[in-house]
Amino acid sequence: MLNRTLYIREMKNSLKLLVIFAAIMTMYVAIIITMYDPALMATLDSFVEVMPELMASVGMQTGATSLLGFMVSYLYGFILLVFPMVFCILRANGLIAKYVERGSMVTLMAAPVRRETIAATQMWVLISGIVILLGYITGVEVAVCHTSFPGELDVSQLVKLNAGLLCLHLFIGGICFWSSCLFSETRYSLAFGAGIPALMYVIQMLANVGGKARDLRYVTFFTLFQPEDLLAGESSAYAGAAILLLAGCAMFAAGIVTFSRKDLHI
Amino acid sequence: MSVIKISNLTRDYGGGKGIFQISFRVEEGEVFGFLGPNGAGKTTTIRHLMGFLRPESGKCRMNHMDCWLDREQIQKTVGYIPGEISFFEDMTGAEFLRFAARYRGMDVGGRQRELLDRFELNPKTKIKKMSKGMKQKVGIVAAFMHDPQILILDEPTSGLDPLMQNRFVELLAQEKKRGKTILLSSHMFEEVERTCDRVGIIRAGRLAAVDSVDTLRRRHMRTYTVTLDSPKRAQAFARDFGGVCAGNRVRVTASQSLETIFLHYYGGGGKHA
Repeated sequence: MLNRTLYIREMKNSLKLLVIFAAIMTMYVAIIITMYDPALMATLDSFVEVMPELMASVGMQTGATSLLGFMVSYLYGFILLVFPMVFCILRANGLIAKYVERGSMVTLMAAPVRRETIAATQMWVLISGIVILLGYITGVEVAVCHTSFPGELDVSQLVKLNAGLLCLHLFIGGICFWSSCLFSETRYSLAFGAGIPALMYVIQMLANVGGKARDLRYVTFFTLFQPEDLLAGESSAYAGAAILLLAGCAMFAAGIVTFSRKDLHI
Repeated sequence: MSVIKISNLTRDYGGGKGIFQISFRVEEGEVFGFLGPNGAGKTTTIRHLMGFLRPESGKCRMNHMDCWLDREQIQKTVGYIPGEISFFEDMTGAEFLRFAARYRGMDVGGRQRELLDRFELNPKTKIKKMSKGMKQKVGIVAAFMHDPQILILDEPTSGLDPLMQNRFVELLAQEKKRGKTILLSSHMFEEVERTCDRVGIIRAGRLAAVDSVDTLRRRHMRTYTVTLDSPKRAQAFARDFGGVCAGNRVRVTASQSLETIFLHYYGGGGKHA
């Protein structure tokens, strides 16, 4: 279920975007991790005290005691959620909907290649991109922690955390991919593929602030990714990650089926 | 044996748009012209043949296989020139053709080279920077390079200059000789008249007539014999008006405009009907 020629071409197209995102991630991850310093922690915590709502909305809380806890608080609430999400949105849209809109899908269709194979190949391109990006982020995290704070990072815990993050991004990728398969115009593909995850993230920000808005956490899928609970080994957090992964796979499959059955005015 | 068989194909886009109850067959080794003005439904019909669209009602079959259900199987023996050419703009022509060949699971063969030479195409240009005619040539090479048994050509000469149009007509003649079945859509009577055995005329989504080219020619081409003062002047006249010169006589033919032909089939000029 994979056309090698198409896969290679699309991975080359992914490369440019991956390099850009890798550079951004390297910068953020390195800066944030090197800020881990009990003395500086006091400064960051004072920010949280001055503007608690704003800091809480992007998942930043006081009192992180370990390096990993600090990373969860300052990386896994905003940066590592939003940037890979933008990658998913851009790449998923470019893999199917853009080709249908521009008509270059004709080239792929006018050949003895099953539609399922075309869609599945594009799906693997997206999944490969997500895995490579998160794998790279993990590498950067390990490298920066190792050089700045030797011996302080529990790598197996970090891998567990990032596996959960991968489930979240596969879920987001599933939304974007399905949307790309469903709509023949990129404006609709983007409206749904970018709109739904972005809206969910805004709701997550509101819910993080707390108070009455806290109940909003039940309407956003970001709630299923609970970094602290994952690290603490709570079964609810594993279940959340599993749900994200399964639902993500289901949406990828739905995208392939949708694409295979739809009329293409190309 | 009918290689292409369309029966009662209908797709209603509403508001009178779409195609309605289209039926025709193309026999093995035949060149079938699909003639109609822009927006008549030629491309919609072809999209059904290519398996891009599922028929609302009716059937499309090629090589006895269903064009929607068995589309991948059918595509093995089909070459297609789309009506609107849109390739991967980031590639050069050569990269694209290499991609298209490998994507099909074939080697880049000598036939590709031969086609590039025939159409004098330098494929090293980025597709983004190519003119309409150059892109059309890339499309022709991509459609013919795997030596398909069936050719579905949607306005294949659009954007080509007259010299290249002639080369294309020669290519079609050769392919026909090699037993290929060809469906060629066009909005130009002259093009169809030069290349096809039979013609289906479509307007406003309905097939108005299927006739042999000879019949059409008899009905819609007028021949005049013009006598001139001298053979020399006759030769010059023949050259200017595309006639056949014999002594000081020249035979010239003129085809009616497509609109006149359509009027004939749609009651406006009902005298022949």
